Amino acid sequence: MTVAGTGQDGTAGTVGTAGTVGTAGTGRASGPVVRRVLAGGAGPGAGDDGYPGADAGPLAGVYRLLVDGTLRTVDGAWLGESLLTVLRERLGVTSVKDGCEQGRCGSCSVLLDGKLVTACTVLAADAADSRVTTLAGLPDDGLAPAVQAAFLRHGAVQCGFCSPGFVVAVTDLLGRRPDADEHEVREALAGNICRCTGYGRIVAAVRAVQEDLAGQAGRPGEAAPGEEAS
Amino acid sequence: MTGTTAALHRPGTVGEATRVLAELGDADLLAGGTDLVPALRAGTRRPRAIVALRRVLELRTRGVGADGIVVGAGVTYAELAGWAPAPGLAATARAVGSAQIRNAGTVGGALGSANPRGDLLTFLTAADAQVLTCSARRGPRTVPLPDFLLAGRRRGELVTAVRIPPTHGPQVFLKIGGRQAAYPALVSCALVVDRADGRVGCAFGGVAATPPRARAAEQFALAEIDWSAVPTGARAQALARRFGELVTEAARSAAAQLPEGPRDPADYRWHAVGVLAARALARCLAAPAGAEGPAAEGRGGGTVAGS
Ligand SMILES: Cc1cc2nc3c(=O)[nH]c(=O)nc-3n(C[C@H](O)[C@H](O)[C@H](O)COP(=O)(O)OP(=O)(O)OC[C@H]3O[C@@H](n4cnc5c(N)ncnc54)[C@H](O)[C@@H]3O)c2cc1C
Ligand code: FES
Ligand code: FES
Repeated sequence: MTVAGTGQDGTAGTVGTAGTVGTAGTGRASGPVVRRVLAGGAGPGAGDDGYPGADAGPLAGVYRLLVDGTLRTVDGAWLGESLLTVLRERLGVTSVKDGCEQGRCGSCSVLLDGKLVTACTVLAADAADSRVTTLAGLPDDGLAPAVQAAFLRHGAVQCGFCSPGFVVAVTDLLGRRPDADEHEVREALAGNICRCTGYGRIVAAVRAVQEDLAGQAGRPGEAAPGEEAS
Repeated sequence: MTGTTAALHRPGTVGEATRVLAELGDADLLAGGTDLVPALRAGTRRPRAIVALRRVLELRTRGVGADGIVVGAGVTYAELAGWAPAPGLAATARAVGSAQIRNAGTVGGALGSANPRGDLLTFLTAADAQVLTCSARRGPRTVPLPDFLLAGRRRGELVTAVRIPPTHGPQVFLKIGGRQAAYPALVSCALVVDRADGRVGCAFGGVAATPPRARAAEQFALAEIDWSAVPTGARAQALARRFGELVTEAARSAAAQLPEGPRDPADYRWHAVGVLAARALARCLAAPAGAEGPAAEGRGGGTVAGS
């Protein structure tokens, strides 16, 4: 299958040499995959000309993603690009962190049609008719602000790299299971790795949100007591 | 940029999917993406085209009938995890990965990847599962899981569902490994008991290229255990111990052993599946007769479900 060059900079036709950063990108399906860096800016509309020859294989064509309620056009992405890559490097949504690209660390956690998934294991082009919700798209009047506040108050944020993924995961959990016990909380968050906090403070923050929820709903005693005084 | 949109196909039905597969000749199927998308990123898979199954709703059905339980290829682990009619499947699904992986990973993807350490494959092997497939040229086909795993997926073929014959009795899935959320188990063992005729299905994963059945151990259990008057105490312990030994022997003599790794030399694996099998049988013996529904067990992926 012949793939047309991106042709945006007048040098289309050159067969892209993988890894040659700064060369005009054309997309022949050849060459090894090289890790792409954020060079060239990741702001909205950074487009495809920042990543010449960095990938190989067919292009995905133009498609639209519904990200946090806004339709975004993705043009010129490779077929094999993950939702993580497209969100960060093509759409500039950098709260979705890139930790492992193997589904193991949870730092890229987002909601896909309301289900918690790792964006790095979702094919971006296949998410075209799904709702993608990142940290910024969690409703302002919902649980997320309380979760974020509790994370700060309880020292659950240190370097902060894992925090967006955790906040998405915790908000998802408490939306479904507000009364989850500590075992269930830990189990539900097992897919999110934190290298700083040792998890105790994260669990304490979650328990604090649960207590507040139970208090607001006038159901004292329904949620188990938190581990730490705030 | 144009002319390449054809690289991603998103059919809406099984018929459309098999037709597209036949036309393309060479394309990768995509379900939840938990295995395929990282492989695309790493460059270990480089398909010219992808056929995505997300929109094929008929693959997402599951049901219970006279001839057993049928689970569509598009059903996720999360959907199985709370499914009361299939306690063993539910227990196995809960032991897979993280919440994120369980929300995306599917039964069809597990069969397509055919990872020798795949949890579901171990359980399905113990449960005598059949694999339902479909291709444009040959139409629908039903094959026993071991045959499917040995032959591999045929070109142009897609897994539509798995079927498990009905059984009534405890079902246990146990595994040993590193951090469950991030890595597949080193070894696993599944037991499916049918109290009615006393049969015990036992399979183990992580030892050979596909999960073997421990036939001698199964024979032993059939001959020694009366499930209408379940042995207890020292007798139960002795049965479990011997059962474990037989499973270790089966592991040692299994064909197509997996290459050894620094963390799992072969004799560790043989020993470990024996330990898991003994533990699993002990739990089956201790499971109350007629207890319905799954009962999750502590940590470490251990789960017993009685039915
Ligand atoms: C961090 C992490 C942890 C994991 N932990 C575990 C674990 O604890 N236990 C475990 O067993 N697994 C684990 N896995 C593996 C994985 O989740 C499963 O194998 C999963 O079932 C794959 O399903 P999928 O829908 O994501 O498949 P995909 O990645 O979409 O596809 C996988 C393969 O199957 C093929 N395929 C997909 N659908 C079909 C179909 N209908 N017919 C034929 N072929 C098909 C694809 O072409 C591809 O080759 C883990 C994975 C990750 C990333
Ligand atoms: S970057 Fe996606 S899980 Fe680590
Ligand atoms: S705060 Fe640093 S990784 Fe969690």
